[in-house]
Amino acid sequence: MPERVILSIGTKKGVFVAEAPKTRGAFALRGPFGPGVGVYSTLIDTRGKPRIYASSCNAFFGMKVMLSTDLGKTFKETKSAPAFPKDDGRALINIWSLEAGDGKQDLWCGVEPASLFRSDDGGDSWEMVPGISNHEHSRKWQPGAGGLCMHTILRDGKRVHLGISTGGHYVSEDGGKTFKASNKGVGAGFNPDPYPEFGQCVHKIAGHKDAPGRLYMQNHGGWGGWDGPGGRRPDIGVLRSDDYGRSWRSIAKGLPSDFGFPMVVHPQDPDTIYVVPLEPPTRTCPGGVPAVWRSENGGGSWGRLTRGLPKKQSFFTVLRDGMDVDELKSPALYFGTTTGQLWIGRDGGEKWDCLFDSLPPIHCVKVAVV
Amino acid sequence: MTVTVLVPGVLRTSCGGASELSLPVASVRAALEQIEKDYPALYRNICDETGKVRRHVNLFVNTSHIRDRDGLDTALTSGDVVSIIPAVSGG
Repeated sequence: MPERVILSIGTKKGVFVAEAPKTRGAFALRGPFGPGVGVYSTLIDTRGKPRIYASSCNAFFGMKVMLSTDLGKTFKETKSAPAFPKDDGRALINIWSLEAGDGKQDLWCGVEPASLFRSDDGGDSWEMVPGISNHEHSRKWQPGAGGLCMHTILRDGKRVHLGISTGGHYVSEDGGKTFKASNKGVGAGFNPDPYPEFGQCVHKIAGHKDAPGRLYMQNHGGWGGWDGPGGRRPDIGVLRSDDYGRSWRSIAKGLPSDFGFPMVVHPQDPDTIYVVPLEPPTRTCPGGVPAVWRSENGGGSWGRLTRGLPKKQSFFTVLRDGMDVDELKSPALYFGTTTGQLWIGRDGGEKWDCLFDSLPPIHCVKVAVV
Repeated sequence: MTVTVLVPGVLRTSCGGASELSLPVASVRAALEQIEKDYPALYRNICDETGKVRRHVNLFVNTSHIRDRDGLDTALTSGDVVSIIPAVSGG
């Protein structure tokens, strides 16, 4: 079977799957799958025979995990979804991240209210990870506008990085048994103390397998013009760490806004990163002109990628998991918008085309070559 | 004493395809406890982990919403019909 590019697209009304040959000429769309409810996370699991997982945020009957073993031609629910222990007092509100673990069937899952679950049987049963879910800080975390979500799970051997909004960045050095807050240099503009130990509204964290000590973060920026208590709080939004997340520094200089949601790293070059700056008040494209911004030197400077994107009157948002990059030699970026457009940026974002322009509002986009 | 629980189509895969369940119970709470024992997947669709009926699920005893009676403590008598109906919501 020749290699194909597979996109899983989580929307307000279920999950879609798009497929194209490696040339990425035309994408065939399948879906929507699920009961017409929001899908906030998907995973294209390429360990062994490809499997596509999608969360299903069912306001009526609770959270589900859906699974496709035929590249998105059909989906069915796994035998169970994450659930808090009966005496815990918390109830699952949403599923925000699904990541592959070490074993062939291992899955990690970040949920709302912010907690971590693991499955060792491909999603049929789940167990809460107490080291973070019952962390001494966990009952002090507060929900951001999107909810109190654990949206980022980055694994690097025994080291596990988590992103929580609003909780901040937590790291485990022992494979997920224990976690500690690690937010030195990560600002919280909405807090009287702008640099608290924890409680930051982290939007996304990304890393690269060839530079494990380095991390990039899109944090809740947009406080450069703040004139309330404490005064201006610039340089909070786009950050970099070179010490496994122990400390962070701003790399926002040159961007039109340090507010945004996604943070994506080039698959072959840990120095090349992509963000989508948004106007802080509206959380839409600055001036109605969408652009993906790329740095090719780890955030030292930034350039604007707009060829093919609308030149005016576009006021969409790209959410935290709404952008991804494939792993082909000349990779393509993909982003989905809250207005239901799915864009492809060929040649690393040099040339953009709209693949689908009338999907439901898009929450998340994942891509894999299988 | 037996009551009948009517299951909407969307939830029937959680109880072996049954559209009705006959339960020997005397309250709505007891009905849910019996469902949790016999059909745990169905129960999870109706109640969250804390035991609360999900916000967008309505339970009726005959034609009365349980919130207009005694909630989960609403008494049931033989021949009562408990309906599980998703709320009108969404967008």
